[in-house]
Amino acid sequence: MTVSNAGVTTPPGKALAGPRTPDGRSAARAGTTPRSLRERDRSGYLFVAPFAIATGLFLVWPTISGLWMSFTNQSLTGTGSEFIGFDNYAEAFSDPQVWQTLWHTVWFTILSTVPLVVVALIMALLVHTGLPGQWVWRMSFFAPYLLTSAVVSGLSAWLFQPDIGLLDTTLAALGLGPVGWITDENVAMFSIALVTVWWTVGFNFLLYLAALQGIPAQQYEAATIDGAGGWRRLISITLPQLRTITGVIVVLQLLASLKVFDQIYLLTKGGPNGSTRPILEYVYDIGFTNYRLGYASAISYVFFALILVFTLVRLMPARKEA
Amino acid sequence: MTVLRGRGVPGQGSPVAASRTRSWAGSSGGLSRRDLLRAALVGAGGVALGGTLAGCATPSAAGSGKTEVMIWDLFSGGDGALMQEMVGAVAAANPDIAVDSTTLEWGAPYYTKLAMTSSGGRPPEAAVMHVSRLAGYAPGGLLEPFDLDALADLGVTEADFAPAVWEKAQFDGQLYALPLDTHPYIMFNNPAIVQEAGLATPDGKLDLDAVAGADRFLDAGRAMAEVTGETGVGWGYQRDTAGCWRMFWGLYSQNGGGYELTPGRPAELDVEAATEVFEFLQAMVDGTVAAKNQDGNAASGRFMTARTGTMFAGEWDLPMFRDALPDVGATQFPAIFDTPANYADSHSFVLPRQAYPDPAKREATYRVLAGLLKEGLTWASAGHIPAYQPVVEEPAYQELSPQRDYAPAAEIAVFDPDAWFTGGGSDFQTRMGDAMTDTLAGKAPARTAVTRMLSEMDRFLSQPNPA
Repeated sequence: MTVSNAGVTTPPGKALAGPRTPDGRSAARAGTTPRSLRERDRSGYLFVAPFAIATGLFLVWPTISGLWMSFTNQSLTGTGSEFIGFDNYAEAFSDPQVWQTLWHTVWFTILSTVPLVVVALIMALLVHTGLPGQWVWRMSFFAPYLLTSAVVSGLSAWLFQPDIGLLDTTLAALGLGPVGWITDENVAMFSIALVTVWWTVGFNFLLYLAALQGIPAQQYEAATIDGAGGWRRLISITLPQLRTITGVIVVLQLLASLKVFDQIYLLTKGGPNGSTRPILEYVYDIGFTNYRLGYASAISYVFFALILVFTLVRLMPARKEA
Repeated sequence: MTVLRGRGVPGQGSPVAASRTRSWAGSSGGLSRRDLLRAALVGAGGVALGGTLAGCATPSAAGSGKTEVMIWDLFSGGDGALMQEMVGAVAAANPDIAVDSTTLEWGAPYYTKLAMTSSGGRPPEAAVMHVSRLAGYAPGGLLEPFDLDALADLGVTEADFAPAVWEKAQFDGQLYALPLDTHPYIMFNNPAIVQEAGLATPDGKLDLDAVAGADRFLDAGRAMAEVTGETGVGWGYQRDTAGCWRMFWGLYSQNGGGYELTPGRPAELDVEAATEVFEFLQAMVDGTVAAKNQDGNAASGRFMTARTGTMFAGEWDLPMFRDALPDVGATQFPAIFDTPANYADSHSFVLPRQAYPDPAKREATYRVLAGLLKEGLTWASAGHIPAYQPVVEEPAYQELSPQRDYAPAAEIAVFDPDAWFTGGGSDFQTRMGDAMTDTLAGKAPARTAVTRMLSEMDRFLSQPNPA
């Protein structure tokens, strides 16, 4: 829509480039009263100030000071703030635990992102097809998302409890052997991914539902007149129309999953035998339990760089499309 | 106060709005939306600021003429209530002191906070610390040593403590920790089951001889399992890395295990002795003597519902067990191997380093701590063995059952190995527990646990001491 408008009202070229700068058009109008222009400009800064101060204090400054810290042997106990060059980075690259925990984070991201996108899509499609009592479905799919990680972990710890938990007791009643939900190295990460999907799928579901409701009804009407069945409409209209939101959901989900910490820390503390310890818990252990802030910062920055590269690679094709 | 201040600020904001209105009166003839927003913004900022300032003002004893002593502890639940009772008693006996006791959640984060507040220079006057963590704190200058003369003036001397505990509280020839208790890892028992399994002495208590030695212990476990129809011995090792470590280190010490943990050099353990320990534990976790794949909660649940005869746990679980089994028995850790040893730790008081020492506060702190030690009888009711021996020798303590039955554990207490990275709530205990879970679950041979532990120990030894 934007494209056709632009085509009609303005000739192709730079005509819009100037006036399109923020407030450009109104500036031209307000030019007659310069005093109120100044007022307006200053009030803008005022509105931005709280956010700018918070960002500066809690994001920009920590980012810079963390980077500096990663080049020192800073300890939580206050000792050692000498510059040690790239020693921490050298240690990080040769520390098998860094790579092992990084893999755990990636593995969790794979295990959680796929169902979090697919299940959310299926749930949204089902609700959108017009099940009776829409609000009940919407609420029950979204409600777990409102819980805190501590509550979710507490609940699932009781479900997964070895030997006397609800799941194992149910399995035993069915004559099936116990499963080491959070005590078996090969199973624990799946259990954590399962809990995470139940907990956070509601957000993606909501995004999909909103996108579904945004698909123009005429398209379906036209397709129906042309004799397209339900499947054909789903494959040829609904799914292509959801491509953009799927891209957004995948990126948001990847970033959220890479940040995994709470539910693992609370459920298994990284066990059994370190099989679920994500890289952020390793950073936490090194920095806050072992007091090596400098080294912990270096690992954080390695991880940060990896995510940054990944995000840029993911965003670049998206830019081109736009 | 917060409320008043918060209300006052929008008042400060309104003059701004008023002046705006005046200057714009000619053109718009009234209060614009922007003015309202701006006023609201200024007001909100003021409220936030007012709130912060009010929040900063800590309740102060200033004015009442009392010296304020702040103590951090890590006691929640029943322990916490008893500590409050003791603090209350000490405060009543010292009317010139206001004791401000703050309870923080126990675990690794407690020690993170303690290290940070100490390095910040304005820590509490005293804090509770596991004596096993001392090696990581004292060398870094985070703590101040106790003045033995000042303690002696208050009736607290070396002779009042068990040698094992007193020695562990030393660093570099100085006393850095004032032990409050010894809390060993012991074995609880259900007397009814013990008696039915034929493991009791004539007075109805568990006969330690009947569970001494690996074979006899396992036989006893099977006998109790027959009585309960489920398992004989309760031990939850899953998801409890600290519990795994306590069990291993106690048994390893019983098996004469020595160690060499020197930073920069490979760790040394007696591999044969350690492997024997795991062979014993694997034999125990066989589904009959002790349940396979069980965690602490499940084990406690089984023990409290009489589905298992004995239970390995810290003595601090006594109040919980006694609620379910009023006649619950407890003994020191059975002698599975030849050397007498019982894994333990000790809650102790330490003096975090003050950037601005205040002699009056220091003097008051000593009086409060000495007072708390002497309230040890209250503390003992939670199950802990008071470190201050005059309390243990009181007839009242000797009447506490089952406390008196496991009190000998303090005399054979073994603590965590001496190294900066060991101790209660440390990453070290987590890593050690992790290293042995596969072996305990029967998924790896006994030797694997030892190999994994050694490689984890090497990793710690190769890291610099951050303190």
